[in-house]
Amino acid sequence: MPQSESELFRALSESVVEMDEDASRSLSEEAVTREIDAYTAIERGLVDGMNRAGDLFESEEYFIPELLLCSDAMYAGLDVLRPHLKVKDAAQRKIKIVIGVVEGDTHDIGKNLVKIMLEASGFAVIDLGRDIAPQRFVDVALSENADVIALSTLMTTTMDAMAEIIVKLQEAKVRERFKVIVGGGPVSPAFAKRINADGYANSAPNAVKLVRELVGAVA
Amino acid sequence: MARDAMTPKQRFAAYARGEALDRLPCVPIVGNTAARVLGVKVSEFRGNGKLLAAAQVAAYRRFGYDVMRIFTDLYTQAEAMGARVHYPDDETAYLAEPAIDSVEKIDSLQPADPRKAGNLPHHLEAMARAVDAVGDEVAVNGALTGPFTTASFLIGADRLARLMLRNPEAVHRLCEVALQSALAYAEAILEVGCAPSLTDAMCSSTVISARQFQEFGQPYLRRLVEFLHARDRAVTLHICGKTRPIWSAMCDTGADCLSIDNAADLAEAKASIGGRVRLMGNIPPAEVMLLGTPEQVRADVRRCVRQAHDNPKGLIVATGCSLPVETPFANIDAMLDAVREIGWPVNAAELVGAAELENPCRA
Repeated sequence: MPQSESELFRALSESVVEMDEDASRSLSEEAVTREIDAYTAIERGLVDGMNRAGDLFESEEYFIPELLLCSDAMYAGLDVLRPHLKVKDAAQRKIKIVIGVVEGDTHDIGKNLVKIMLEASGFAVIDLGRDIAPQRFVDVALSENADVIALSTLMTTTMDAMAEIIVKLQEAKVRERFKVIVGGGPVSPAFAKRINADGYANSAPNAVKLVRELVGAVA
Repeated sequence: MARDAMTPKQRFAAYARGEALDRLPCVPIVGNTAARVLGVKVSEFRGNGKLLAAAQVAAYRRFGYDVMRIFTDLYTQAEAMGARVHYPDDETAYLAEPAIDSVEKIDSLQPADPRKAGNLPHHLEAMARAVDAVGDEVAVNGALTGPFTTASFLIGADRLARLMLRNPEAVHRLCEVALQSALAYAEAILEVGCAPSLTDAMCSSTVISARQFQEFGQPYLRRLVEFLHARDRAVTLHICGKTRPIWSAMCDTGADCLSIDNAADLAEAKASIGGRVRLMGNIPPAEVMLLGTPEQVRADVRRCVRQAHDNPKGLIVATGCSLPVETPFANIDAMLDAVREIGWPVNAAELVGAAELENPCRA
C-alpha cells in the first residue's frame, strides 16, 4: 500500500488509467480507513486518473473500450468514497446538465463518454438515456432547473430532432435559460449554428471544455 | 443534362481494361432515399422485397448511378439472429435491443438461415427482382454487415467494448457465429446473381484501436473476402469514420475497393494505398448532400476528383457513407451532373482552384 497521501492519490489515479477496478476500490477503502478527506481523494485520485484517460483518448492511445473500462474503475472508487463526502462538499451547488440521445437513435456510447467526462469534471449530470422525445428534454430541463442541455446523435436521420428541441424551448419562451450543446457523428459546428445551438464539441473531453466556456465555471 | 453514353457495366468493364470512358463511375450511396423516389414510407420495405426492389430500381433509373445496392439498415443480420429492431413509420430502422445480454448466452446464438430468418428472405427477393429488372446494365449489390459490427448488435456495443479487453475469447466466439451467419447470407446473395458489399461500421478507428481491428475485425473480414474471391467476386469494403490507421490492414483483407468516409482524407488514402485498391468516396452525406446546395455538391465532386482521379487502381466518385433519407434529389442529380461535366479523360488542370469546401467532419 502507498505510504503518503500523495502516493495514495497517485496510485488511485493510476488505477483508473490502468482500468483496474479492484485496485481503485481497495485504494479508496484504504483512503477511508486512513480518514483521508474523500473529496480530495476523488479530485486528486479518481478524477485526475479519468482526466489522464481522456487525454490518452484525445491523443488516440486509448479508444472507446479503454475509456469505458477507465470509467468503470473510477465509478468503483467513487462508490466507496462518495458516502464519506462531507456534507458541504456533497451539497455544493453544481452546474447541472441534462443529457440524452435524441429520438430515433439508440447509439449511446458517445453520450455515455460525455456523461462520464462531465461527471468526472464535477458537473451534475442527469442522464435521460437514448431515444428521447424532444418534449422530455424540455420538461426535465425545466423541472430540474438545469443549466445545460446536451444532445447527441450518431445518425443523419435524427439530426432534425435536435432542432426541434430548440424550437420547443423557444416556443415555451425559455430558450435563454439554458445553454444547448450538440455532438455526434454527423453533427458539425455549421449545423450547430444553423439550429441555434450554443455550441458543438467533437469529443467527450472537448465537451467538458465547451461546457466550462459556456457556463464560465471552474468545476 | 444528357444521359450517359455507356451503361454502368460497360463503364466498369472499360475502366478495368484501361480504355476510354464517357465519365468516371459515380455512386451516391442511396439507401432508404429510394422510398422517396417511389413515394412510399420507409417502413413499408419491411417484409416486402417486391417494393424494396421497385424503389431501388426506380432510384437507379431516376439518377443513373453506377452501383445499385439493396440496403435498408445495418441490422438485418443481427435481427435474423435475435436482436430486436425498431421500425419507425417513415425513418431508418434502429436497434432496440441486442439479441443477448450476457456472455453466458453467446453459445445460444445460431447463424441465421437466410431463407427463413428475419428480413433476409425479403432482401434476397429484392436482389433477385432488381437483377431481373436492370441486372444486364448495372451491378446489383446486396448489403452485408461485417461480423464485428453484427457482434456489437448481438450483445450491445458497450458490453462488446468491455469484453474486448476483459474477455477477448468471448468476442471471438461472437464474431465467429456472426461470420458463419454472414457466409451463409453471402452464399445466398451470390445465388440470386448479386455480389455482397461489406460494411463494418464498428471497426472504425473512431471507435476501436488499429490493434483491436487487427485482432477482432480484420480476420473475419478476410475470411469473408476469401470466400467471395473463391467465387470470382470483387469486394468493396466500407468502414465508417476515421480509418487511416487501418488502411493497410483493410487492404490485407483482400478487398478490391475501399469506400472511404468523409472523416478520412481521400488524397492521403491515394498516397498510402492507392496502388493496392480502388478507392470510393468521399463527399459528406450530411453536410454537403443533405444540407448543401447543388453548387456545393458540384464543388465537392471536383475536390474528390482532383484528389484521387489518378489513383492507380481507380476512383469511384461516391458519398462518404449512405445518404440520409431526405437528401434532396437536386443534390443527387448535381453529383452525377458534376461527374458528367468533368467527363473523360479528366483534365486535372481544369479542376485546380475549384472552390473547396471545408470538410466539416474533420474539424
